[in-house]
Amino acid sequence: MSLLELKNVSKIYGELKALDNVSLHVDQGEWVAIMGPSGSGKSTMMNIIGCMDKPTKGEVLLDGVDISKESSKNLTDIRRDKIGLIFQQFHMVNYLTAVENVMVSQYYHSMPDEQEALEALERVGLRERAKHLPSQLSGGEQQRVCVARALINHPELILADEPTGNLDEANENIVLDLFAQLHREGTTLIVVTHDPEVAEAAQRTIVLEHGRIAREVINENFGK
Amino acid sequence: MTKRRMFLRMITASLLRRRSRMMIALLSIGIGATILAGLVTIYVDVPRQMGAQFRSYGANMLLLPKEGAALNRDQLAGVLETIPEDELIGATPYRYVRLDMTSRQQSFTAAGTDFSQVPKTSPYFSIEGAYPENTREVLVGKNIADNIGVKTGSTMELTYQPTDSGEQASPEESRIPNAELAGSAEGFGGGTVYVNVKLDDQAAIASLEIDAGTQTPEYGGRAAEDDNFLKQFIGKTLPLALGEDVDALSGATVTSEAVVQAVNTARKTEKAARPQTLNFTVTGILTTGGEEEDYVFLSLDDMKTLTGSEQLDVVELSVSASAEQLEAYAAAVSDEHDTVQARLVKRVTRSEASVLEKLTALVFLVTLVVLLLTMICVSTTMMAVVSERRREIGLRKALGASDGSIRAEFLGEGLFLGLLGGILGGILGFVFAQVVSVNVFGSSITFQPLLLPITMIVSMLIAALSCLLPIKRAVAIDPAIVLKGE
Repeated sequence: MSLLELKNVSKIYGELKALDNVSLHVDQGEWVAIMGPSGSGKSTMMNIIGCMDKPTKGEVLLDGVDISKESSKNLTDIRRDKIGLIFQQFHMVNYLTAVENVMVSQYYHSMPDEQEALEALERVGLRERAKHLPSQLSGGEQQRVCVARALINHPELILADEPTGNLDEANENIVLDLFAQLHREGTTLIVVTHDPEVAEAAQRTIVLEHGRIAREVINENFGK
Repeated sequence: MTKRRMFLRMITASLLRRRSRMMIALLSIGIGATILAGLVTIYVDVPRQMGAQFRSYGANMLLLPKEGAALNRDQLAGVLETIPEDELIGATPYRYVRLDMTSRQQSFTAAGTDFSQVPKTSPYFSIEGAYPENTREVLVGKNIADNIGVKTGSTMELTYQPTDSGEQASPEESRIPNAELAGSAEGFGGGTVYVNVKLDDQAAIASLEIDAGTQTPEYGGRAAEDDNFLKQFIGKTLPLALGEDVDALSGATVTSEAVVQAVNTARKTEKAARPQTLNFTVTGILTTGGEEEDYVFLSLDDMKTLTGSEQLDVVELSVSASAEQLEAYAAAVSDEHDTVQARLVKRVTRSEASVLEKLTALVFLVTLVVLLLTMICVSTTMMAVVSERRREIGLRKALGASDGSIRAEFLGEGLFLGLLGGILGGILGFVFAQVVSVNVFGSSITFQPLLLPITMIVSMLIAALSCLLPIKRAVAIDPAIVLKGE
């Protein structure tokens, strides 16, 4: 079953075609990596899938809803309800503790529930760091908090933008293991990266070049 | 946990865990609120403060006897009840007569007064020495002192010489309510009979004193002591007729006739009493730069001894009240009392009102400017806070925060800051106002309990207003900024 479908999507800034007639299909529960050099349109694609930008042309169907024509208010609602975001720079609210940062996501989504937030931290192995401020956490720990924050509202889709870009290898592996766990539970994952190792962890890799899909690689070794 | 609790938790965390940043915003609101609260306190208190200040310029109200009436000390207390006790700074009665200093062949204007009140209504009086405290003591104007060469400690012999000049009041004109009259007539054997008559407020005889010292003691001399003879006069209206209003003292017809004649011809006392001489000690020399330097001041008791009268010419009042209030008091005094009228010293009251008006306008203007500056300062700080937290705002929006949530969070922080700043300002503002008041006006102010909630509300309002533009900025932030791997 299709969760996300891009149909002939273009994003044009003046003369520049950031995305040029891209079509993409992601099934429910799939784990897809998007690769490409900088300027290839990765960020633009991510913005559009993440409901933070609209395509100039084409249709984007997320869970059956065409998000290419929605108002920005509705896009905010859709993003909140369906998407969990993970960023390269982690982006935690620096004056809130780890558990509070997770609760912020609950707060905007529905109801803050400290117990549930603590369980999410437990899942990423940071239960005992719950009361720490971001400045007291390592980069890897911060990103794990962000994973907890992304999964707390049980989103249909987790969208990660260079999630391991700022992490050492040990932490990269922890995060990828978490992704694998989420994948096994049926969460759809789209991971934007330029790291081949991260891309190889996914089932399928889409390579963007000059705003077009250059090629698509199925990871034969996935799950092995 | 409810959303509201999470909301409060986020706001307090933002303020408490980002102390150094928020301290600046809090300080700007706090200082603004302090100055505002202080100025408002002073603004409210200025009329009272200045009212007390203005009293150093002297009396602002005069009490005078009404046309055809007299004013004496006994009446004064009743009249003063019209004015609230806490607003009445002082009330100084004055009685002016000419006194002679025979030894120097000089004559001065002498003012009988109540020395305990003089410093209150004439704070600018500068005394070398001291105010008289007892009877037979005088305060001498500098000009007189220089002229006749008296110093503190000198003695002066002053004589009250009733003058029979052409301008004196006729007996008929003298018969006014509360008047004190004195008369004399030739009695038996060429001696003189003196009488002092006091009239009541209906102009009937209230009391009568007879000095028949030159009359034959066993006969006419009895007139002064015989109660039955004296009683006949009380309550009667002048003129009297012997045999009708008053029966003669047996065996002293001539003296009786003389008494009646003396009573009938009695006039206002200072024009008809006998000469009196008293010895005074100078306790101080008065410098004012004004006409008071040409006067000799003595107590009302001595004045009574000299002139035999307790009448007053004028009472100077110093009242700490607004111009309108003074007008009201003056009107009330004139209405309520048949014999007394009150007048305002316009020169003083007008300049008071004008200075007060300018001062309040100035304080108001400064308050307005401070208000504006505070808003600019808070707004700038919040603007800086917003740009500093761009990424965080972007993140919140990326996580699904609506524009309304972002507005609510920043407004919440602003209001919280305003509340804290208001409490700080309310307390410090009172201290500030107190310091200003003590240093500028030399008097302390009372704490207005209402000041605290008002300051809190005002500073919350200012904070909220100042946050409007920064909030607009915050709402406009694009959530996509969190994605670009900057």
